[in-house]
Order: sequence, then structure tokens, then C-alpha cells
Amino acid sequence: MASSQVVKVLVVDDDVLTRRIYRTLLLRFGFEITEAEDGKSAVNKFIDGNEYDLVLMDKDMPRMDGVEATRALRGMGISAKVVAITGDENSRGAFLDAGADEFLLKPLNITALTDILKAFNFLN
Amino acid sequence: MDYVNLRRQAASLRKSLFDQGYLDEQFYQLEDLQDDASPNFVEEVVTLFFRDSARLMANIDQALDKCVKDFNKLDVYMQQLKGSCTSIGASRLKTECTFFRECCRDENIEGCMRSFQKIKREHSVLRQKLESYFQLLRQAGPIECATRPSK
Repeated sequence: MASSQVVKVLVVDDDVLTRRIYRTLLLRFGFEITEAEDGKSAVNKFIDGNEYDLVLMDKDMPRMDGVEATRALRGMGISAKVVAITGDENSRGAFLDAGADEFLLKPLNITALTDILKAFNFLN
Repeated sequence: MDYVNLRRQAASLRKSLFDQGYLDEQFYQLEDLQDDASPNFVEEVVTLFFRDSARLMANIDQALDKCVKDFNKLDVYMQQLKGSCTSIGASRLKTECTFFRECCRDENIEGCMRSFQKIKREHSVLRQKLESYFQLLRQAGPIECATRPSK
């Protein structure tokens, strides 16, 4: 985990609506939320020295898509959990090959995400 | 003011939105996220949706007006709109977005035009209904808990 006890999450999605929904859900769990609107911004946040425990990654985004961003993070040695959340059901293989830990289809199912967070030991 | 009656009207309107297919299960998830910490969450998200979707639809309008149709660009815009519709459970809109994208893949401009007119109508109707719903909720005041309409 990142140095603090609070789970730090990076939400990566070009849709402001989606980020708003994820933010509300994750704040309920007491997580600390940072947002990025595309893959390149997400990678830059790590390059800038920020640490996150969890990344929620969309796929189709401008500048750098989620698969490419995931691959870039793993290439940098980033060990944060990456959960791909996308409407593109055909991208599961690509995401997992790039180093994502889990894959969820949009629309977000809160129960499915909660189960994953528990499996990661981010929730009691 | 008859708060009980207003709440009944709001509940009835909400039920009709589901019964008539305007909204789906995803809207329940938004309601589940609303609590004391985020008491107006659903209305805020819906407001965001209509602001964002209006922008996307203006982009699509512009793209359809061009002499040379860029089906890839149209598909990208519609993919974004569909994603937003999915996020709030706007079921009928989502379905029409899917059809529009199929027309893009077939490079069927007539189909795109017809579909987009339908999307604009559905968008307008959904906006009116949800605005009425939230207005009723505001007039009725806070309720103890939301209940899902019986299926």
C-alpha cells in the first residue's frame, strides 16, 4: 500500500459523469480520490511521484487509452492494483495482458466492485 | 402544502419512468449512492448528464451538417453519449445510441439522421420527465428512504 493508511485511488476516465459516480462511491469507503481524464494524465501522476493503491481505468480515452496506460504503468514498475472498467467487453484480454488485475464491464456494478475491493483487502 | 400527495406524485412518476423503459436498473444504483453525505447526488448526476449530453449532441449535429460525413467521428461522439446514458440508466436513449452506431458502421447516413432525430426527441422527453420528478421531490421535502417500485 501507499505510505498512508488511507486507500488512495486514481480514477481514470474521460467522462466527468463516470468520475463523479465513482468518486461518490469510493468516498463512502473513506478512500482518498484523485481523478485523471485520460491515460496520459494518469501515467504523469505516477511520474510526478504520486502513489496510489488502486487505479480504476477506463479504456477508450483521448491521448492514451487504458490498455496502453496500464502497460506503461507496469513498465514503470508500478504495483498498484489496476481494475479496468469499460464498456468494451472485447478488451478483457488486452487489459489483462497489459497487467490489469481485474476487469469489469460498464455500467459499474457496485457489488462487483465491492467484492473486488474486499479481495484486495481494501475493505474490512 | 400536501406533502403526502406530492410524494405520491413523485413516486408515480418515478415508477412510470421505469415501466415505460426510460430508466433501467442503473438508476437504482445511483439512488443507492445517495445518502446524508450526498443528499442531492442523483439530481446532481442527472444534471451533469444533461449538460454533457447536450454538448455531445451539439457536436453530432455539427458533424451531421458537414457535406462530407465522418462516420468515425460520429461513432466516437455517439460512443461517449451512449456511455453517459448507460451511467445513469437512460435505457431508451442507450438503445437508440446503439442503433445510431450500427448505422455509422454501415455508413448509412439516412439511418444516422433518422436515429439522431429520435435521440433528440427521447433526450427532450427524458429531460422533461426527470425535471418534473426532481421538482416534485424538492416540493415534497426530504423523505425517509427511497423504495424501489414493485416489479
